[in-house]
Amino acid sequence: MRPRPFTLAQSTATILALGWSDFVLKYRGSILGYFWALINPLVKFGVILYIFGPYVSPSIPQYPLYLFLGIIIWEHFANTTTGCMNMLFEKSQIIKHLSLPKIILILSVGWTNLLIFVTHIMIFLLFAWVRGAYLSLSSLALVIIAVQMTLLALGIGMMLASYTLKYRDLPHLWTVITQFLFWLTPVMYAYKTTSPALARLASFGHGLMDASPVGAIRLFIELQPLAIVINDARRFTLYAASSAPSLIHIAGVSMVCTVMFLAGTAVFQRRSPFFPQEY
Amino acid sequence: MRPAINVTGISKIYHERVVPLDCLQDRLLRWRRHRKVMVIRALQHVSLSVAPGEWLGLYGPNGSGKSTLLKIIAGLLRADGGSVEVHGTLSSFFELGIGFHPELHAYENVRLHALLQGFRTHELPDITRRIVDFSGLGEHAALPLKCYSTGMRLRLAFAAASQIDADIYLFDEVFAVGDAAFREQCLAFFDGLRKAGKTVILVSHALDGLQRFCNRILFLEHGKIVREERR
Repeated sequence: MRPRPFTLAQSTATILALGWSDFVLKYRGSILGYFWALINPLVKFGVILYIFGPYVSPSIPQYPLYLFLGIIIWEHFANTTTGCMNMLFEKSQIIKHLSLPKIILILSVGWTNLLIFVTHIMIFLLFAWVRGAYLSLSSLALVIIAVQMTLLALGIGMMLASYTLKYRDLPHLWTVITQFLFWLTPVMYAYKTTSPALARLASFGHGLMDASPVGAIRLFIELQPLAIVINDARRFTLYAASSAPSLIHIAGVSMVCTVMFLAGTAVFQRRSPFFPQEY
Repeated sequence: MRPAINVTGISKIYHERVVPLDCLQDRLLRWRRHRKVMVIRALQHVSLSVAPGEWLGLYGPNGSGKSTLLKIIAGLLRADGGSVEVHGTLSSFFELGIGFHPELHAYENVRLHALLQGFRTHELPDITRRIVDFSGLGEHAALPLKCYSTGMRLRLAFAAASQIDADIYLFDEVFAVGDAAFREQCLAFFDGLRKAGKTVILVSHALDGLQRFCNRILFLEHGKIVREERR
């Protein structure tokens, strides 16, 4: 039997096997095992709920669920983007010595983190059931949210990973940026918008925007894709079915996430042949 | 006859700053040294051709460009100039047991290794069983790799490498490790490849090993072929 060039089917099989193996290996040998994947979001959840909850929760119905859902989506994004960069060091032997398409390795990072995210979603649904929250059929749309967020995180992760070996400051810089981004994403506070995202974007040309720095930050919080995806997840699960996002909105957000993913793929494919000599 | 490998005018230059540019702290502390860029001409217009079934040896001191040349032929590095043509399936070995994880047992490691080498999913059960059987690990195959002795790891890695069938093989000093018994196993493996008429490029520091197997040895120095020995 002899190896042959990677086809789409072969690449998919390798991504699934490698991602699953990394998922299993991540916790193998540790006493708490998979629970380590839960502890980080749970600690963050507990701290925010205890410290900020009293100030924010009166204005947000089902605040513990609102917060938990925001945190697990945020964690998925943060872990996937940093995982893409770390992969270059964890799998350096493979990158340096095997001539397989490098994109397989980075997509397996997305798959590993998607598996963890799916387990977090299960826990969220269990949490919601225990708290007696009404979950309609639109909660199934969390599948769309998982795909959107994975595409978005992989797109940004691939762009970052493309230059990580060349500019070794990038992982450190990204750690700092994510600190800012966490506070600029309505994970723990209420997402407020005056009109649909497309209408807000259209108002750029009509002089309706607040040009002050605070106005710019507000606009960023309102329109950045992370905030929109997290808000959509809440609209699907926590609020009445009538408040679920429209099809046009879902298609628009999915398109933005797909464009980010394709842009990340293009940059990564262009840069990856240079990785072996950048170590 | 069409050559199995045809390399034409390959060049590779590395530009390395004396202190890496990407470290701001080093930039500030050693700013004078940043002006110094070392130009390493790893390969300078190297051309060679390997006929089907031929065994070519690459010999030279450290830094002569042997591994760079092999990596360019394997498609792992991009040349700055020149071209490489490969006719046939190619398998390269720069290290044994790439992708092996200490927490996985033999079957899991071999399965992943085979996937990374491009084997199809339906071929995995058979190839995995063959590799583990060939390694002779017996009951130890169910243990994680971290429980193996160095010799056992080497045997498994060698078994994984030796079960890959290709037209062209590239070896970069991978078998210069292990004890006498392991080296005997490697020599028997090479004899098998010779009998099967495979095309091979061998990189080694051991000239006697190359002389034993190769039809032709190229001597490299400072990125150039300086001598050729036919046998």
